[in-house]
Amino acid sequence: MKLFQVRKGQFVYYNNELHRVYGVKPMYKQSVHLIRLRDLKQELTNAVSVERYKPKELDSFIFNHKVYTLRNDRKAETGDYILIHNPMPDSLDTYSLNEIEEVETADHKGIITSNSHGIKHNEYLLMVPGRADDSHPIDYQDIESVEPENLQDIESNQLVTNHISELLPTLGDIYKKKDSSESFEAMVVAIKGQTVYLGSGLVLSQEELMNTEIWEFLYNILDK
Amino acid sequence: MDNKKYTGNSVFIVSLLITLIFIVWGVFFTDNLAKVTNTIYKGSIDYLGWVYLGATLFFVVFSIYLLFSKYGDIRLGKKTDKPDFNTASWLAMLFGAGMGIGIVYWSVAEPVTHYTTPPYGKAYTIDAANTAMKYTFFHWGLDPWAIYTVIGLALAFFQYNRRLPAAISSAFHPILGDRIYGPIGKTIDILSIFATVFGIATSLGLGAMQVTAGMHDIFGVPNVLFVQLIVIAVATVLFIISINTGLEKGIQYLSNAAMILSFAIMLLLLIVGPTMTIIKVLFNTTGIYISDFIHMSLRLEPFGEGKWIASWTLFYWAWWIAWAPFVGMFIARVSKGRTVREFVIGVLVVPTLGTFLWMSIFGGSALDLVQKQGTHDLANLITKNVSLSIFTFFDYLPLSSVLSILGFAVVAIYYITVADTATFVLGMLSEGGTLNPSNKIKMTWGVIQSAVAAVLLLAGGLNVLQTASIAAALPFALIMIVMCFSLMKGFKSEVEVQRSNKRSTKHF
Repeated sequence: MKLFQVRKGQFVYYNNELHRVYGVKPMYKQSVHLIRLRDLKQELTNAVSVERYKPKELDSFIFNHKVYTLRNDRKAETGDYILIHNPMPDSLDTYSLNEIEEVETADHKGIITSNSHGIKHNEYLLMVPGRADDSHPIDYQDIESVEPENLQDIESNQLVTNHISELLPTLGDIYKKKDSSESFEAMVVAIKGQTVYLGSGLVLSQEELMNTEIWEFLYNILDK
Repeated sequence: MDNKKYTGNSVFIVSLLITLIFIVWGVFFTDNLAKVTNTIYKGSIDYLGWVYLGATLFFVVFSIYLLFSKYGDIRLGKKTDKPDFNTASWLAMLFGAGMGIGIVYWSVAEPVTHYTTPPYGKAYTIDAANTAMKYTFFHWGLDPWAIYTVIGLALAFFQYNRRLPAAISSAFHPILGDRIYGPIGKTIDILSIFATVFGIATSLGLGAMQVTAGMHDIFGVPNVLFVQLIVIAVATVLFIISINTGLEKGIQYLSNAAMILSFAIMLLLLIVGPTMTIIKVLFNTTGIYISDFIHMSLRLEPFGEGKWIASWTLFYWAWWIAWAPFVGMFIARVSKGRTVREFVIGVLVVPTLGTFLWMSIFGGSALDLVQKQGTHDLANLITKNVSLSIFTFFDYLPLSSVLSILGFAVVAIYYITVADTATFVLGMLSEGGTLNPSNKIKMTWGVIQSAVAAVLLLAGGLNVLQTASIAAALPFALIMIVMCFSLMKGFKSEVEVQRSNKRSTKHF
């Protein structure tokens, strides 16, 4: 009999793959609600079919199509991603175990994430992009039984660039210019190679439009 | 960086000094303190009552305006932000935070006290009972929640949409610009901390009295000042341990437990109490409340003494205002991802209805009980010792020991969670709105707030608690009025930014 209690936030293996528990709903038969870290796919299951894993330093895994290695060798800085592996929330804080967040500001006391959570320096592990050579891949519980084609993902560092295409501009994306004093929004009307044409007649490269400090993605006109 | 650090410290040091001066005054010149607070109390009736009445009515009108205004669609946070909590638990948390200790303390005592000494009319009559319920609804209804709506909305909006620090001064950014980091901003923060310390100390003082009363009722511990001070001391040690050992998670569980327990008591009481009377009270009083709202809101006694108004309505308004930075901070923390309209419904409308239900259940059954006695003895007994009132009331119900123990547990848990959360809020406010206040500062505030509560109890108990909060909240009431205009200015520019708020957002 398995007496382990599943809690929100834990990393678990389900069907041999790494998931994060995003919710436990005791009233349901499928009480454990998971999200697959690799591609953020949702799964519902029960406590019997998951196996807990505690992430630690130098573990590497794919999160939302990108590879990260957990590190603890420096304090987080603005723009870094962190994994809150040791949450000690104050009484008004709303974050939970193993949340992955982006750092907005950092000082000697701790960091503040883009999600307005105040986190102290001993509560998180840094998520450094890429898979370090001395890292321990934790994407699969039993790496032997994984089909070879999936395993390729694990070995290649290319994943960082391969899958970013999902975030690239597509037709119908509406972007807002952040640095201009008057409100400026435009839609992507054409894409030719690396060049993007915006509705106002503005022509710029993909990289320029991807610069989140200047352009903010609002929504796609086809989304409902 | 160094400059910013300095900013945080100066606010902390000045507000700490002011509070310390007050504590020293209270310990060594207790009589003098009681005398001075009494003078302020009298002055507040004569000169400042209208300020509180006017300001609070304005907050109600302003909140209702926001509900129907075009700003209702503004989302607090990024457009893609989703609420952290589902609506049911969000509402439960709001209710618990806003009322907490107070609602347990007053829900029996207030209607019965109004019944024995009504604001007008003859005591111990059916009319007095209706008036008593009406005023209880009034003091706990739209007005406190409107105050929380204004401050919670301002804190959430400037924190999440404008990415400003979690300090009260941030709410003045549209008016003051970067001067919020200068002396004006610091003064605002210091005044808000000063009000908050007293708001919290009032609640902790009431809480300590109630915990002691509960122990008296259940375990036979003497119900005296000395025990109340011990309660404060023990609680202080407990939450300081929790700050240092990372037991905060445990505190969150405790506060959820308190919430569930209070709902359990409410349901139990609805069943074992006079159910039909309670329902009639709820409907009847809601009706009178709505039709008499304006009259009650502006009621002063120009040709009389106005004592009743000062010790009830003005005290409550001041207490809610003093308590507002604390509750506002909490509400802002849990409301990210809600729209302004959802926020106003969740913070103003729903908790008001919840309070009506709670007050009808407790107040309605208490008044029913008191009236059925035929004599005035029970009513006078409850009025004579207000902290003990809820336990006295439970003694007359079936399952009285279960109710008493549950009630005691709720009060004790609320006390510790409020005290603990308060240290965090004061830490944030006094360190320039950082979300990571240091443990040292949190512990300092922990000791200070307990000391203020103890001093107020030493200086004369409930009356001094009431007068102190009326005095401390006044500057903050004025700050809050300006805050409304600042918030409007912020919303106006936000509407331009969020013109697209009706559009859907892309979810990865």
